[in-house]
Amino acid sequence: MRPILELTAVTRAYGPCLALDDVNLALEPGELTFLVGPSGAGKTTLLKLINREIRPTSGKIWVDGIPAHSLKASRVSQLRRHVGVVFQDFKLLPRLTAKENVALALQVGDLRISDDEASERAMDALDAVGLGDRGAAFPHQLSGGQQQRVAVARAVVGQPRLLIADEPTGNLDLETSWQMMDLFADIATFGTAVLIATHNVEIVTRLQRRVMTLVQGRLVRDQPAGRTGRMAWLASS
Amino acid sequence: MAGVVVKGRFPRRRIIQIVTANVFRYLFRGAARNWFRNIGSTAPALSSMTLLLLLSGLVGLVGFALHNLEQAQAAQASLLHVYMRDGVPAADVDALWDRLANDPRVASVTYVTKAEALARAQRIPGLPQLAAASDGNPFPASLDVRVRSIDDASAIDNLVRTDIAVDPLDPTSYDRGAYQRIQAVLFGLAVAGFAFLSLLGFVAVTVTMNSIRAAIHSRRDEVNIMQLVGAPRWMVRGPFVVEGAITGALSGGAAGVITFGLAMAGMTAGPAAFTQFAPGITVTVAAIAAAVVFAAGLGLGSGSSMISVRRHLES
Repeated sequence: MRPILELTAVTRAYGPCLALDDVNLALEPGELTFLVGPSGAGKTTLLKLINREIRPTSGKIWVDGIPAHSLKASRVSQLRRHVGVVFQDFKLLPRLTAKENVALALQVGDLRISDDEASERAMDALDAVGLGDRGAAFPHQLSGGQQQRVAVARAVVGQPRLLIADEPTGNLDLETSWQMMDLFADIATFGTAVLIATHNVEIVTRLQRRVMTLVQGRLVRDQPAGRTGRMAWLASS
Repeated sequence: MAGVVVKGRFPRRRIIQIVTANVFRYLFRGAARNWFRNIGSTAPALSSMTLLLLLSGLVGLVGFALHNLEQAQAAQASLLHVYMRDGVPAADVDALWDRLANDPRVASVTYVTKAEALARAQRIPGLPQLAAASDGNPFPASLDVRVRSIDDASAIDNLVRTDIAVDPLDPTSYDRGAYQRIQAVLFGLAVAGFAFLSLLGFVAVTVTMNSIRAAIHSRRDEVNIMQLVGAPRWMVRGPFVVEGAITGALSGGAAGVITFGLAMAGMTAGPAAFTQFAPGITVTVAAIAAAVVFAAGLGLGSGSSMISVRRHLES
């Protein structure tokens, strides 16, 4: 099976400082993977490289067959239609309702989608994240957890092959965080590769999914699913 | 028969309608809404651009009138009146006429009698009084010589002024340097006008670029989110360019209407004086000037916002 995401010898430097150093990884369809590491380890940089917010200093990044490392600025939008992104701070447009926020992601990607179709698919996505009754609410009328669900609905409404999330539970309480993780697991079940950057050790430990650990820009550990937790060192040794 | 899924092509016309509606919404409706929302920061650009375009329109009209005036002067300068001596025999006049008519530098020669000269003078303001004050007809007969090139006027003047048929005291109407002086003055005015408009243009473009930059900064989060959800570049940048175009079109429209109004007011208030001081300015010319001012506003607004978007909106 061809990987959805493949990084080969990726390095990213900010001036003299190496944010990522010779990172190699691959993600298969339907795989839910955690990206962990201390602050400043390079997790966000890695996600930004995947979404082509920044370019690698060297190395190659293939996203669903698209070369993100050499993509022209004018074609970045095409790549982003293959990648759903969830942010810690939700990044919802405050002027739009939940449904409009979700529908926007659909229509900017494909202008041939009518308002009716976009609205219907947005409501389906909101239903799927448990917010079918809050489509008309504006972001400020929703709780943090609900806003994050809207962001997830927006990220998956275009049926991307890859979903990346940067600290998606960073602003949520524990119970809501677990609900979010259930949601990500469900999404992965349907074949979308999910990559979540997180600090939440408890979630990572208990979910027993694949975990990649970044330290000072280097991928120091890649533990397969089911081999995480206190005794994980047995798997990586 | 149950359970048959019919797959049909979506009608092309319907797709075109949907795409058009979406483009209109994301490009034009969004831009218009944001323009109204940012009207406070757009106002300086709007007013400075209106002022610039109004002055451009007026300077343009004045320039056109001066150009016409210069053309008239050139035509005048290329027409040499060779004044005949009183009582000159017809044979001498004919001989001079032949010499001039056969000169390759001369386009035409016309003989003007004393009576025709008087009649012509009576149509020129101030000269009828002069004619009335004199006994008889003070205006001499002349040969009106039109030279092919204005540069040859001097040579023709030299050629005729010693001729026996020509009045030795006041041989010709040729005023050495008069046309060159007019040209120098007009050139000076053109340079000054160009410099003035360039300065105003620079100010207007800068102010418009700044207002678009302010709009970009105030909507940076929105722009960022649009980019992150995969909006193509034209969808992110387009509305800002359209906003600039709206500013330019409104400024151009206002300046165009004022330019046209002022020209019409001038034509209505004093048609004779207007024709004399602003030759060639007609309703059609004023309307064309207004249209050019509008188009210039549209181009200036969208052009300066395009520059601003390229500078301040990273991909």
